[in-house]
Amino acid sequence: MTDTSRRSYTKHVPDIRLITHYAEKTDSIIHRVNPWTKAAMLFFIVALVTVVMDFLLLAVIYVFALGFYAAAKLPLKLLVGWYFLPLVFVLTLVIMFVFTEPGTEIARLTIGTLVIAVTDNGLILMAKLVVRALAVVTFSLAVFMTISYKHVVYIARRLMPGPLATMFLLTYRFLYVTSDEITDLLDAVHSKNGNMVRGMLKQTKMFAGIFAHAFIHAFDRADRVSKAMEARGFTGDFPIVERVSAPRPREIAVVGALTVFLVLALVSRYSGMEGG
Amino acid sequence: MAHIHLEDGALSPIWVIFWWAVAAALIGVAMWSLKRERVSTRKMTVAAMCASVGIAAFMVTIPVFGGLHLNLTPLIGILAGPALGSLAVLIINLFSAAVGHGGWGVIGVNTVVNLSEVLIGYYIYRTFRTRVNLNRFASGFSAAALALTISALMVVAIIAVAGIQDSHLDEEETAHNLWLIAAMNIGVGLIEGGLTGYIVSFIGRIKPDLLEEIERSREKRPPDEDAHKKGG
Repeated sequence: MTDTSRRSYTKHVPDIRLITHYAEKTDSIIHRVNPWTKAAMLFFIVALVTVVMDFLLLAVIYVFALGFYAAAKLPLKLLVGWYFLPLVFVLTLVIMFVFTEPGTEIARLTIGTLVIAVTDNGLILMAKLVVRALAVVTFSLAVFMTISYKHVVYIARRLMPGPLATMFLLTYRFLYVTSDEITDLLDAVHSKNGNMVRGMLKQTKMFAGIFAHAFIHAFDRADRVSKAMEARGFTGDFPIVERVSAPRPREIAVVGALTVFLVLALVSRYSGMEGG
Repeated sequence: MAHIHLEDGALSPIWVIFWWAVAAALIGVAMWSLKRERVSTRKMTVAAMCASVGIAAFMVTIPVFGGLHLNLTPLIGILAGPALGSLAVLIINLFSAAVGHGGWGVIGVNTVVNLSEVLIGYYIYRTFRTRVNLNRFASGFSAAALALTISALMVVAIIAVAGIQDSHLDEEETAHNLWLIAAMNIGVGLIEGGLTGYIVSFIGRIKPDLLEEIERSREKRPPDEDAHKKGG
């Protein structure tokens, strides 16, 4: 279970069981960092990649995120696969900008009367967005894969309004069952020699059946779970098993340093000191 | 994907804050409406189950056009209703951001786009079933396809007005650049529309009580092929 998960049907989205395994069973210097500190650091990383405009600084933030991930002893090989979708999202958004952004032409292709030219500013725009996205994805996964469930419960209860926290935590708990259900149905299709490469209509119908089953079973399960919860005196709040203590002074210092960086980045950006 | 998710750094800080505020206001309205209704534990668990299926479904690659990931947001709207569906899409976005499918800073804008899919999906399905008397497949297909088409156009409008960070293009040029992804998303939305149509037909045959609430105000039973097949 250290490198891959049997239950996962895609290499592009992290499997919830694998995430939980690393959060609950692995130990590293990052696992021992206070969850509040990690949550605060994630906030500052997101804020910094949004505010900072300089490519070099963005690259430094990405390297920091990657170092944080590696220090948590998380699988680097799998991370490459998990980069696929964020890259697809960024590239589909900005691919046209590579050709249309005003700037110096780097390459030009002429097909009859059609001229396609790649500009330096277009490439810089794309590179910046890719680095920004990957920095946050890497850091977010590192945080999510190093905070145990009991601490997630506590943080969710403290940060979200009651009904939202309850729904969030119920979703978290149900996710294991529903993802297993869908992968079981896919296993069943495979075991009956169900060829996954068919016409579009057949594929759509087959997957509709799988998802419909998942929804129907989810509703049945929701009925049973809600009755069981009410029978046990559920009042709408998840019990807190363990409180998250306050961060240590040196961790507060790290968050303080990130705050200073963010303030400097904001001042630099809005006073026009930073170059593009 | 059935629609694009923006990643962190795409929008400037001002727009990030603006869309967080809009999303917070809409979620606030949804929570206020749930508080007024005094939502039961059952409804809450049903919505949480919907959100978990939405996340789990996204983990599966559908081998059409080289691989698609679906969000099933209009379907969640149809099954969970607009208020609980709104909370469900916010939760889906939180989980998605945790695994890199959409950024944390842009959860606000991504949630607003998904909320439009939930609301449009819900109201179109309800209208088509209760007033136009379309069958379940046609209603589900129209609801999802229209919701995803409108949300794809919304994405273009949002990005064109806000602009992408570091881009020097004006609104018109930015919108022009985004028509390609809008067209792609609309195409994928049609596939998700078909899938949604099949799913609601399937659910209607196996467990029609799940659609009872959204179809309740029907005065006359529509010409539902599924119902005819079952003799009912």
